[in-house]
Amino acid sequence: MNIRQAFKMAWKSIWGKKGRSALTILGIFIGIAAVMTIVSVMEGMKQKSMEQFEAMGTNRITVDIYSWSWDEEGNQISKDYFPDLYDYCNSLKEYVVGTTPTAWANVTVTYGTKSSANMEWEYDDNWNVISAPPDQFYGSDQYSVCNNLTIAKGRDLAYLDVESYHQVCVLGAKAARIFFGTADPVGKIMQVNGQNFEVVGVYAARVDPDSSNAQMDNFIVYPYTARRVLGGGDITQFLVKARDSESMTETISRLGGFLKGLVDQNTGGYNVYSESRWQEQSNEYLTMISLVLGGIAAISLVVGGIGIMNIMLVTVTERTREIGIRRAIGAQRSSIVAQFLIEAAMLCGIGGIIGILVGTLGSVVLSTLLMQMTIYPPVKVTIGAFALSVALGIIFGIYPAAKASKLQPVEALRAE
Amino acid sequence: MASLVELRNVYKIYGEGLESEVRALDGVSLTIEKGEFVAVVGQSGSGKSTMMNVLGCLDIPTRGDYFLDGTDVRELTDKALSRIRNKQIGFIFQQYNLIQSLSVLENVELPLIYQGIDPIDRRDMAMEALKRVGLADRYRHKPTQMSGGQQQRVAIARAIATKPPIIMADEPTGALDSRTGLEVLKFLQQLNKEGSTVILITHDNGIAATARRIVRLADGKIVEDREQEVDWL
Repeated sequence: MNIRQAFKMAWKSIWGKKGRSALTILGIFIGIAAVMTIVSVMEGMKQKSMEQFEAMGTNRITVDIYSWSWDEEGNQISKDYFPDLYDYCNSLKEYVVGTTPTAWANVTVTYGTKSSANMEWEYDDNWNVISAPPDQFYGSDQYSVCNNLTIAKGRDLAYLDVESYHQVCVLGAKAARIFFGTADPVGKIMQVNGQNFEVVGVYAARVDPDSSNAQMDNFIVYPYTARRVLGGGDITQFLVKARDSESMTETISRLGGFLKGLVDQNTGGYNVYSESRWQEQSNEYLTMISLVLGGIAAISLVVGGIGIMNIMLVTVTERTREIGIRRAIGAQRSSIVAQFLIEAAMLCGIGGIIGILVGTLGSVVLSTLLMQMTIYPPVKVTIGAFALSVALGIIFGIYPAAKASKLQPVEALRAE
Repeated sequence: MASLVELRNVYKIYGEGLESEVRALDGVSLTIEKGEFVAVVGQSGSGKSTMMNVLGCLDIPTRGDYFLDGTDVRELTDKALSRIRNKQIGFIFQQYNLIQSLSVLENVELPLIYQGIDPIDRRDMAMEALKRVGLADRYRHKPTQMSGGQQQRVAIARAIATKPPIIMADEPTGALDSRTGLEVLKFLQQLNKEGSTVILITHDNGIAATARRIVRLADGKIVEDREQEVDWL
């Protein structure tokens, strides 16, 4: 018996019992759809986090300096380490392009009627951010170098701004648009915690301002010395940008040596690490989550497979007489096995195809809702899902098919 | 030259050794030559169905030898037995045993499919067999849309589609009225005239009268084996 004939036969049998076939493949279809959706949404999340890391730039080193000593009144003994770090980094020009504190400025910024205190997150139809409160940071004059930023209008923060406590700020492209629309922000005065701050420049956009990642350009940077008037705790985290990936190791080891001499180990400590570690970690987390969720979905596939086996056993019982007839007129055991295996594989394959369609829809809808981006399942996932469903059919079809082929022709012919 | 069918002291025993053991065939020896028309006659429980199963290679005897065209059937694998049933024997059953989900043509094609004949030749051969039983115009029908007599003719077409040397008919008229039953018997006689060896299993002496030779079974033993004048239909 040739394969084409066997497929035709299997299709006939499946089509002949449409209702039952549909119910049978339900389990497979749900399982495949769930696996597809989960895997592609997770892939999308990885892709998105990668994009964010790339926009901020690579070769970044994070330096933490902290202290755990208190004076007699219970206040933490603090020291501004940044000037020393700044000078040291400037002496390492061979390896380092810049350094800046990284700290959130927990302040309210106001211009005209617009205030960060009462801004809501607003989205357009495609879930892109129209408006949102800006992220506010304290930085040095090298903030832009460390964060892949270039000036589009006006000027960048200058060393003198930091040194002389100038009340100035530079806006990210999206923040400029939110506060000033199409007007030129340079030279305008914004109120920050009631203090006048002059906008001296606007950075160029790093990401598409109409994309879901646009919030990355919605920020305002103040010289970190503005803390004197704006308040806020000690700055304990700093960013050092290495010249290239080859310089990373050298920079990290030299910074370690420098900080060992700088920080009093009895009252505090320090940490130096490459930022790509975060990216690796976030990828690891996402992989773990997708394994767990995928595992749960895989259980439904196994349950679906058992359903297939069950129905195939029923089919074999129902068709015992037919099997007897086929055996009597010359079907070999292998033909009977092939017939039922192909039928099970085809059932699951159909379930798989429907699952792939629904899973694709699911990942598009879910990625839009969760991540404001549209993700289609990767081709390898689609092919894998189909192969998996057919394999399930074969695995769970083996037992019923073997049972059918072991029927004795005489016994089978006697069945009602 | 070897006989077409040769049973030597064949036993088929169910539950051997138990008190309830049943000797469906109890030391049967029988030789059938090519071209014969043999009726195996017996009451129900006489062992005639078991005889048909053994002769048709559907069942293996418990003891004794069965040579089919010189081949010892007991030595054969399941695969080889399937091939014999496919090529050497055409079965006609009392209950027609057509597959209800397949069309008339597909039913007749089935043994040809298992022979691996390509679709075009297969269709020609099946249509030719259907023409012989006068049902060529009904090839697209489902068995359920046909009368009993028509279904049995489809079954006959299926049995002769592969042109097997042996036709084995188990109560072929049992489910039919007497007129359509006669048609079936007439057809069997016709096949025999054309050279097929026909083995007819029946409980009905009247039907057995259409065969040239009668083998009577009782309690698993052959009690009568004689040639007779035939009522040609």
